[in-house]
Amino acid sequence: MNFLALFARNLTKGPYTEPFPFAPAPTAKRFRGKIEFDAETCEGCRLCERVCPAGAIRMTRTAEGMTFDCWHDSCVFCGNCEFHCPTKSIHQTADWHLAHTQDQKFLMVEHALIPNQICAECGKEALATAPATRTVTPPLSPTETQHLKALCPKCRAKFIRARKAAA
Amino acid sequence: MTTTSIADPMSPATTTIPVGPLHVALEEPMYFRIDISGERVAHVGINAGHVHRGIEYLATKRTLIQNVVLTERICSLCSNSHPEAFAMAAEEIGGIEVPERGKYLRVIAAEVKRVASHLFNVAILAHLVGYDALFMHVMQVREIAQDLKEGVFGNRMDLGAICIGGARYDLDEETTALLRSSLDKLEPEIAEIEKTYRTNGSILRRTRDVGVLANSDAIACGVVGPVARASGVDYDVRREAPYHVYDRMPVEVKTRQDGDVWSRAMIRLHEARNAISIIRRCLDTLPTGPVNVGEKPDVPAGRAVARSEAPRGELIYFLKTGDSEQPERLKWRVPSFMNWDALTFMMRDAKVADIAIIVNSIDPCVSCTER
Ligand code: SF4
Ligand code: SF4
Repeated sequence: MNFLALFARNLTKGPYTEPFPFAPAPTAKRFRGKIEFDAETCEGCRLCERVCPAGAIRMTRTAEGMTFDCWHDSCVFCGNCEFHCPTKSIHQTADWHLAHTQDQKFLMVEHALIPNQICAECGKEALATAPATRTVTPPLSPTETQHLKALCPKCRAKFIRARKAAA
Repeated sequence: MTTTSIADPMSPATTTIPVGPLHVALEEPMYFRIDISGERVAHVGINAGHVHRGIEYLATKRTLIQNVVLTERICSLCSNSHPEAFAMAAEEIGGIEVPERGKYLRVIAAEVKRVASHLFNVAILAHLVGYDALFMHVMQVREIAQDLKEGVFGNRMDLGAICIGGARYDLDEETTALLRSSLDKLEPEIAEIEKTYRTNGSILRRTRDVGVLANSDAIACGVVGPVARASGVDYDVRREAPYHVYDRMPVEVKTRQDGDVWSRAMIRLHEARNAISIIRRCLDTLPTGPVNVGEKPDVPAGRAVARSEAPRGELIYFLKTGDSEQPERLKWRVPSFMNWDALTFMMRDAKVADIAIIVNSIDPCVSCTER
């Protein structure tokens, strides 16, 4: 290798390093970074909690519903949760800005609540999770999905059964 | 302990010097107890166990799906080969057939890792030789592979490319273009680097006839990977027991007869270039279709052995599953484990100044070996 040529090339190209933090560092679109959770579309199957190798995800039943917590400090950014989540309600963003001071370490949490609701049919209290509708044929219409979401698991199953019988 | 004589530079008596566990020339902790006689190594004792983390035990406390991630974190440079062999063992037990496209994608991931791993080792060699301009340059070239990994897989080291039953990622037009353009950049650079290592005086002086492992010693130690091939052992799992679609790939298994540090570096550079041809062939013939068999493939009770060719050589996995989701036993035999022993042969009569170069030439991975 001609090191003089290399030297000239490096001189004209300028530094290879990024000027971060004085300018934004380019980040790949597919970069597997900080976890984001969407309580609206989550089915509450808790698969993400089970497949997480780091034990970073915890879902807990409380009086208000079911809480979701993902501790960014425990997460190893493997993407198992996203891969196994049936609805992709949990996913990795390209955000890697997770540096924080020591006193912030227990606050680095993605927190959300799937609230309880009163079933529109039977009036019982149940979680307002998104209904699992992927295997239903023919596919549900948006209004049907909306209706299903307002029901408790028992009434949802009843609805699906009735629909199947009618079809 | 043998008596340690106070060094008298004129006396032929041996002196014992410790190298490690923490040492500037070692990236990871390993303790060498080296008896030297004058300028030469008389005897080497290797003492391991400084970074034992109990991962084999931990693996039996995690589900198979969690273990895909855990095994990926055993070693950073071979990180793709571990879950690859693990998934192959699980698929063997479950009788799971990986879809064609998934197999191709697995090969691409494995070969990308091979390029980056080999360039890293060759760069460190330049650093140990004291040729830091070359070290910086090779690392800069490796950076192309790192950026490629980040762009296609989302991480610079742990690709997350494997799941039980196939591949976890897919290529689209954008990532295929990124792969191709990165390969186009890498290929001429690696060819240039190969030329430098073949002709540069500083490199040749410090690596030719240094750390020689004779063919018979290589066979006796059972070394694997580039260390074996540089000593004339013609063995590569990708050719001997083709997995995925390696039987359709242009795998060139090159051997050298000299068995010195230089030969090992040249084998690695050759394999890095060959890996690029393999990735290109994959991209050219990539079939369409699913990349894996679905989210949660069923793995019943059973046992299986799987092996793959990691950048450092043959990696063997033994998996025993029971009725629960956790494996009953997971054991692996990593390539570095076989190569450690050969160091005692390579260092015989070596100069003290060459110790670090020789240790680096087996591309040792302590975190794999001690897990
Ligand atoms: S985020 Fe996904 S995997 Fe987790 S509970 Fe919700 S639907 Fe299930
Ligand atoms: S990315 Fe991995 S470690 Fe992080 S929350 Fe998801 S499964 Fe857990």
